[in-house]
Amino acid sequence: MMITRILTDVALMSAIGGILALIMVIAQRWLSNYGEVSININGKRELKVTGGNTLLSTLSDQQIFIPSACGGRGSCGACKCKVESGGGPLLPTERPLLTKEEMASNVRLACQVKVKSDIHIHIPESIFNIRRFNSVVEEIIDYTYDIKGITFKLIEGQSIDFKAGQYVQLESQPYEKIKDKVIRAYSISSKPELKDRIQLIIRQVPDGICTTWVHKHVKVGDKVNFTGPYGDFYLRDTEADILFVAGGSGKAPIKSILEHLKEVGTERRMTYFFGARTRKDLYLSEEMQAFEKVFTQFEYVPVLSHPETEDNWTGKTGFVMPYFKDAIRDPKNTEAYLCGSPGMISAVTKSLKEYGIYEDKIYYDSFG
Amino acid sequence: MTVLGDIMKKTPNEKKILAKMQPGIITYGGFLGTDKRSYLQIIADDEKALEALGKTAEEIADRLEFFQQKSFDSFEASTVVDDTWEVETEVVRGYLPCPFLHQGMYRKSYTTVKNLKSKKSFTFSALNIHLIRVHHFFEGKNSHFRMEPADLLKELF
Repeated sequence: MMITRILTDVALMSAIGGILALIMVIAQRWLSNYGEVSININGKRELKVTGGNTLLSTLSDQQIFIPSACGGRGSCGACKCKVESGGGPLLPTERPLLTKEEMASNVRLACQVKVKSDIHIHIPESIFNIRRFNSVVEEIIDYTYDIKGITFKLIEGQSIDFKAGQYVQLESQPYEKIKDKVIRAYSISSKPELKDRIQLIIRQVPDGICTTWVHKHVKVGDKVNFTGPYGDFYLRDTEADILFVAGGSGKAPIKSILEHLKEVGTERRMTYFFGARTRKDLYLSEEMQAFEKVFTQFEYVPVLSHPETEDNWTGKTGFVMPYFKDAIRDPKNTEAYLCGSPGMISAVTKSLKEYGIYEDKIYYDSFG
Repeated sequence: MTVLGDIMKKTPNEKKILAKMQPGIITYGGFLGTDKRSYLQIIADDEKALEALGKTAEEIADRLEFFQQKSFDSFEASTVVDDTWEVETEVVRGYLPCPFLHQGMYRKSYTTVKNLKSKKSFTFSALNIHLIRVHHFFEGKNSHFRMEPADLLKELF
């Protein structure tokens, strides 16, 4: 009798649970079905999409790639865009990554905004040039003990248009205990005239997920995806003198710019300061010095902050800034292109301004 | 306690934090290393060790930040502090989030402090300073950035 009662109760509870689950599934199907909605971009272009996903992934499905360094987890703040209407209220997850000014001018995180109704957004026109590329690894070069140069050959007839100095976002693949792909930004180091391949220069980061994958697992012939090009660090088309200043893997975009200038030709006066700690941190030195024979007015100046005795270094030492004086002949007609750590960028910018170079002529990529 | 029992005991937030600390989520090796203790137990044990040493996690974090700032002051290049410590910082592209579900990101900057007398060195990230100051979390044994409070006290003060 007791057992029958227990079994009846269990059956009853199971039935109620099943009905509730069914109701939830049906409700979710109805309530989260936003149907077809429109995304108006810059007042010029209208997309018809199925509602319900984030703005970031909805645009990605439409081959419009907004930069994102965390893969849509709401932690990097890179996917900011202006949502004029239809984005819903600002979420608590967005506030820490937005300034008061950005919040006041309707800037939102595309990875947090859900597309539930018609929505009007504003994004830079350059984003329309961003594409997803499929490639195979063509070549891997060890530049130093912790820096590799990797060439990715595009497949399926794809070609890439970018400006020398811009970057791409590489997608890693699961490996060892890493279950998900991650997305990381790297500057393109090859010239834009090569439309069917790009080279990236990637330094091993301590305990880094993507750089460990690149340094320990990626082999020639592997398939790798990336999106791009991104960024507003690129060579301005003027006749002004140029100072390049880089450190570490910051050499990548400068290499791209110099290879591009070699293709198109230039008479501009250029000086390239590269800061490193010791001789073993220098790389591509011969390639950079070779540009001195290509251009009529180009000098490559490596500066070591801490040369070791066995380096037998006879070149310049210390910080790069004291050496700018001899390289600047007319500060009002000089542009500076900087790539490196925020500390280096900050110190170099301060110094260049003291030498009289206009702040708006100092362009930089601060590993942001 | 069984593994299942251990999981059942955790609050939803603790489960989320534990998930963030696993290898491959924020960093390659994760935050727990080979440590079998829960992260809460790691924190409790380190707090006990600090108490016995007469220092607080905030004081340790202040000291690490002091060295980091010295390095920043010399534009991340190597510099010697008080004739005793050599400090340098390597900054690479990108940011790391806090596994304790805070919003905000910490720049991938890695500061190495070497005691010139003992030759012992420690490397920590900007995130480590936050983890120690706010969460009293020095990471699990054998994780990439684990630092023993007693060693820090001996070598960096």
